[in-house]
Amino acid sequence: MQVQLGRLCLPNPILVASGTFGYAREMEHLVDLHRLGGILPKTVTQLPRPGNAPWRTVETAAGLLNSIGLDNDGLDAFIAHHLPYLRGLTAPIIVSIAGRTPAEFVEMAAELDRAAGVAGLELNISCPNVTGGVDYGTDATSCRKLIESVRQATQLPLLAKLTPNVTRIADIARAASDGGADAISLINTVLGMAVDWRRRRPVLGNVMGGLSGPAIKPIALRCVYQVARAVTTPLVGIGGIATIDDVMEFLVAGASAVQIGTANYYDPAVTMRLLDELPGALQQLGASSVQDVVGTIKRVG
Amino acid sequence: MLSPLHAAHYADAAVQQRAEIIENVCLARDTYRVRLRSPIIARRIVPGQFLMLRLTDVNDPLIGRAFALYDTVLDGNGEPTDLDIVYLAKGKLTARMAELTAGRFLDAWGPLGNGFPADPIEHLIMVAGGIGQTPFLALGAEFLGLRQYGCPPRKFPPSKRVTLCYGARSADMLAGVDDFQRMGIEVHIATDDGGCGHHGLVTEVLQSVLDSHPGPHRIVCCGPEMMMEAVAELAQRRGSPCQVSLETPMACGIGICFTCVAKIKDADGGWDYKRTCVEGPVFDAASIQW
Ligand SMILES: Cc1cc2nc3c(=O)[nH]c(=O)nc-3n(C[C@H](O)[C@H](O)[C@H](O)COP(=O)(O)OP(=O)(O)OC[C@H]3O[C@@H](n4cnc5c(N)ncnc54)[C@H](O)[C@@H]3O)c2cc1C
Ligand SMILES: Cc1cc2nc3c(=O)[nH]c(=O)nc-3n(C[C@H](O)[C@H](O)[C@H](O)COP(=O)(O)O)c2cc1C
Ligand code: FES
Repeated sequence: MQVQLGRLCLPNPILVASGTFGYAREMEHLVDLHRLGGILPKTVTQLPRPGNAPWRTVETAAGLLNSIGLDNDGLDAFIAHHLPYLRGLTAPIIVSIAGRTPAEFVEMAAELDRAAGVAGLELNISCPNVTGGVDYGTDATSCRKLIESVRQATQLPLLAKLTPNVTRIADIARAASDGGADAISLINTVLGMAVDWRRRRPVLGNVMGGLSGPAIKPIALRCVYQVARAVTTPLVGIGGIATIDDVMEFLVAGASAVQIGTANYYDPAVTMRLLDELPGALQQLGASSVQDVVGTIKRVG
Repeated sequence: MLSPLHAAHYADAAVQQRAEIIENVCLARDTYRVRLRSPIIARRIVPGQFLMLRLTDVNDPLIGRAFALYDTVLDGNGEPTDLDIVYLAKGKLTARMAELTAGRFLDAWGPLGNGFPADPIEHLIMVAGGIGQTPFLALGAEFLGLRQYGCPPRKFPPSKRVTLCYGARSADMLAGVDDFQRMGIEVHIATDDGGCGHHGLVTEVLQSVLDSHPGPHRIVCCGPEMMMEAVAELAQRRGSPCQVSLETPMACGIGICFTCVAKIKDADGGWDYKRTCVEGPVFDAASIQW
């Protein structure tokens, strides 16, 4: 069940996505945290952020639109209050960080490099809900430069989490790969909007938000498929994953591991079920390891 | 600053289950009571806590909805086996829920949230608006010493008097009044159209209850935000302790999404967004930045 993401080795390919699992402790009675292939706590910023005004989420057809706005207490509070609990878990902890400038990313990476219990970093260069948050995820050159400078600041394995809200995601992925990312996480939420026509108002406090859940799975699969063709860097599939069929689709399309997001909200024990069902699904393809199925999708036409 | 009502742990007793519907009956206009078989949750839950419910095997509606405990149901040996939830059929989930019959299932996870604290008080005054009466049947029963909740059961000296001030749009929207009266809870009603009880606001009813019973009391309140704010303001003016149960929109109910935030005052005069589902839904009225 082991998977290798560049320099990062994970016990299995079922991870939980940043922002959809709190700081893990909230889930300790609903999920056996030790079984997870990796835990990504909610994205941390250097300084505390209150987040956006409510309404922060609204349900859409088979999806969820959110504009949380990276509500978090900042890096110092994360290291003091959340990391001690997280490092006690056997699951690898991949800390998701977001900065407004390359310097912020670099300083945070260096600080987390010194803190014990961190298995890797995911650079959130794709949050649609904060200004400046997506620049590194939409421009290939700044993406590559950012990852290069973070690599110089830390020995920790790096994942680059990309946004689907670009014209050619393979270009950004190539830049992340050139910059030295150990793996590329695809995708963050899809920019969207909900309207209350009776009151002639946007529903979300922040007007626009990121769409997640089963509604975006086809977009995420397409991104994984396109990027798998463009780079050899391992990929982590994210977007609407809720069943073992979803997991297998992402693996076959080219992802070495997956992150479960919105499904944690509406089916808190989902990851445990996926872990139970994964060996049987691999067996159906005659595979003895996860790697045996990754990217095995056939070319048609 | 941690609220004094802050739950010691997060969803520390919560379980996720597929729960069988035992019955689903109409109580009032568009208002139903669904009875779910779930001995584990029924044994653990306390008044003011809630569960998340979701239709099984569909992706639309996708997200669970929060529902307050109405009451638990005991078997012949006095063991809690079932949970009653009272809901207003008004949207995507509840309209579908109203069509479900006995033998069908709902996905449920709970108990969630902090619940009302078990602090004894001579007179408990419960103020409800709209569908906000739902947390108060179990709470009233517990404070009258007629029922116990939680595992191990919470025990404390009973109140001498429990009053419900209940405001609704019209008489046909009043749901569960018999249940409250049967329990020995004094019920005072206000309707917007005067079809039943006082013609006007529930805060006016509360005012007269406070005037005629000046003894030691505590106010607990659940309903539309405007009403809760008015009750909180009245309580503050009269120097009455007051707790409110917020019904902030939620997406997970377990503290992992940061949807359900409310502005809670901190020690240095400012405020911070706090998650209602884990730090609430019950807060001291004075701690809320309305
Ligand atoms: C702690 C807590 C306890 C609760 N307890 C109870 C309870 O005991 N009983 C009960 O009936 N309810 C309770 N609720 C409310 C419940 O969780 C649901 O919100 C409610 O039942 C409606 O769900 P629905 O799916 O039927 O409606 P939805 O389809 O979700 O709609 C809910 C309301 O929001 C409006 N709305 C939805 N989407 C939009 C949009 N895009 N734009 C504008 N407006 C929109 C709708 O008009 C509707 O009035 C509680 C909530 C909380 C947080
Ligand atoms: C409410 C909410 C908050 C999120 N917060 C973050 C975050 O802080 N950092 C991040 O990298 N991604 C965040 N995401 C994106 C998810 O990690 C994930 O990429 C996305 O939701 C798609 O996966 P899903 O469809 O399985 O949810 C958030 C998603 C949601 C729904
Ligand atoms: S509803 Fe998700 S954090 Fe409260």
